[in-house]
Amino acid sequence: MKLLIETEFKRNFKSLLLWTVIVVGLAVMMLAMYPAFASTMEDIGALMEAYPSGFMEAFGMGEGGLDMTEPYGWYGIEGYLFVTLIGGSYAAILGSSILSKEEDDSTIEFLLSKPISRNRVLFGKASVIIANLTFMNLVLGIVTLIAFALIGDFEVLIWFLYILGGFIIQLIFSSIALMISVFVVKSRKVMSISLGLVMGTYAIDIVSNVSENLEFLKYITPFEYVNAVSIAVDKQLDLLYMLFSLIIIIVSGFITWRVYTKKDISV
Amino acid sequence: MINLEKLTKYYNKNARGIIDVSFDIKEGEIFGFIGPNGAGKSTTVRTLINLIFPTSGSGTMMDLDIVKDTVEIRKHVGYIAGEINYYEDMTVRKFLEYSGKFYKVDYEEKLDYLAEKLELDLTRKIENLSFGNKKKVAIIQAFIHNPKIIILDEPTSGLDPLMQTIFFDLLEEEHKRGATIFFSSHILSEVQRICDRVGIVKEGYLVKIEKIEDIMKTQAKNVRIIADGDIVLKNSHIAKMKKTGNIYTFIYTGKVNELLNLLHGKEIIDLTITEPTLEEIFMHYYEREEK
Repeated sequence: MKLLIETEFKRNFKSLLLWTVIVVGLAVMMLAMYPAFASTMEDIGALMEAYPSGFMEAFGMGEGGLDMTEPYGWYGIEGYLFVTLIGGSYAAILGSSILSKEEDDSTIEFLLSKPISRNRVLFGKASVIIANLTFMNLVLGIVTLIAFALIGDFEVLIWFLYILGGFIIQLIFSSIALMISVFVVKSRKVMSISLGLVMGTYAIDIVSNVSENLEFLKYITPFEYVNAVSIAVDKQLDLLYMLFSLIIIIVSGFITWRVYTKKDISV
Repeated sequence: MINLEKLTKYYNKNARGIIDVSFDIKEGEIFGFIGPNGAGKSTTVRTLINLIFPTSGSGTMMDLDIVKDTVEIRKHVGYIAGEINYYEDMTVRKFLEYSGKFYKVDYEEKLDYLAEKLELDLTRKIENLSFGNKKKVAIIQAFIHNPKIIILDEPTSGLDPLMQTIFFDLLEEEHKRGATIFFSSHILSEVQRICDRVGIVKEGYLVKIEKIEDIMKTQAKNVRIIADGDIVLKNSHIAKMKKTGNIYTFIYTGKVNELLNLLHGKEIIDLTITEPTLEEIFMHYYEREEK
């Protein structure tokens, strides 16, 4: 399995690097803009008040929500989104392709003629997903840690929860995408379904924030599970949501394993 | 060495793969698996390496179950797929090293030997290889670990005649080393060239297993006669009579001296009696099974 993991990690490394640069770059760029905004924050506060409350709610800036004038609130609104949305998209793409690409390109016929079990193929590929996401969040963690420290009062718990939250939502999307990929073999199809899921649940998150009637929808969107408000304001990740996340990851992982080790591989 | 018991594979209710295929291939044997496209050859092969699961029936290789013990089996199997699809972004050497490392044996020497024999440039990327060169890569990755069983699915397609000869030489070397070979093909002449026995598949069924020599020994002969003027040839052993001008061709299934008796006294300019090719015999089998 080590051989598969090594080879797979190397093959995916360039794209990992690219996505890491994009996600970390965007998040840090927004953080870097904070000092400039902070100095004009009073004007901005006035400007913000002019926005309709629905708009503010949508981005978690309603009453009891994120405070843009604080670094962690600012990051929650401007930077964290890139980690969850773009990082989540990367996770979905990775999960969609890492296993199905072998089948789609028919290279699986080669791989499964070698002495390696489907179990190990699956766990090897899953390990690469986890390794890649860990790498991305590790880089993000180090860079944001430095950035927060430079900006001022560093709160290790909030910083940690932001990194953890991003990691969790990426794990959710990648495991769902991986599960879809054992049913729908065409990589492109899996990818559009998974990316649709990321975008769709993001839209649901916004809607559930804005409309009280549709608030119940928050339970079905991973963006809510790791939302910035609970991180920056309550300094915690909701236990129920963490349970949901865990269940989603375990169940989709189990289904993936169950189906993949028993199915006919079409080439 | 390879044993199938009523192996059946349906992809779904209507998509037939193979039905009740049974055979027993002995250690060191070269077994040909012959049939037209869509007969179920690839289905059989893919079931052997557990890419697909049998619907019913069972199989063993080296007395190991093809479903339960597939990983152990694959340690000792070399496989060339019908269609070659490898990681396009890798160089040939990287790919073959990746392939070799799975077996936890020393493969470098064999890799270099085979690459030299097949005249394969190891520095090129897989994506830039021609079909024939990909096939060479396939041959190397299948032989690299000195497997006990070699499974081949249409291995010569894409190889030019010179390379085919080299391939058969290499296959012969593997065979001499002790490898058992399962050779699936729709080209009969190549099976005729190396196989001990052949199984003939048709529409999912294994219709017949014969020794090559027995097949070739069937009494059927191709007869070609050039006569001086019209002659009448009638005999229950004569089939498929064709007359073009004064040239008569037919298949004769009786004894040759009876044929000579029949021809006696007739104006014959030339007579040729030849062994039928496996192709012709094969057609014969197919037609007979249809009746």
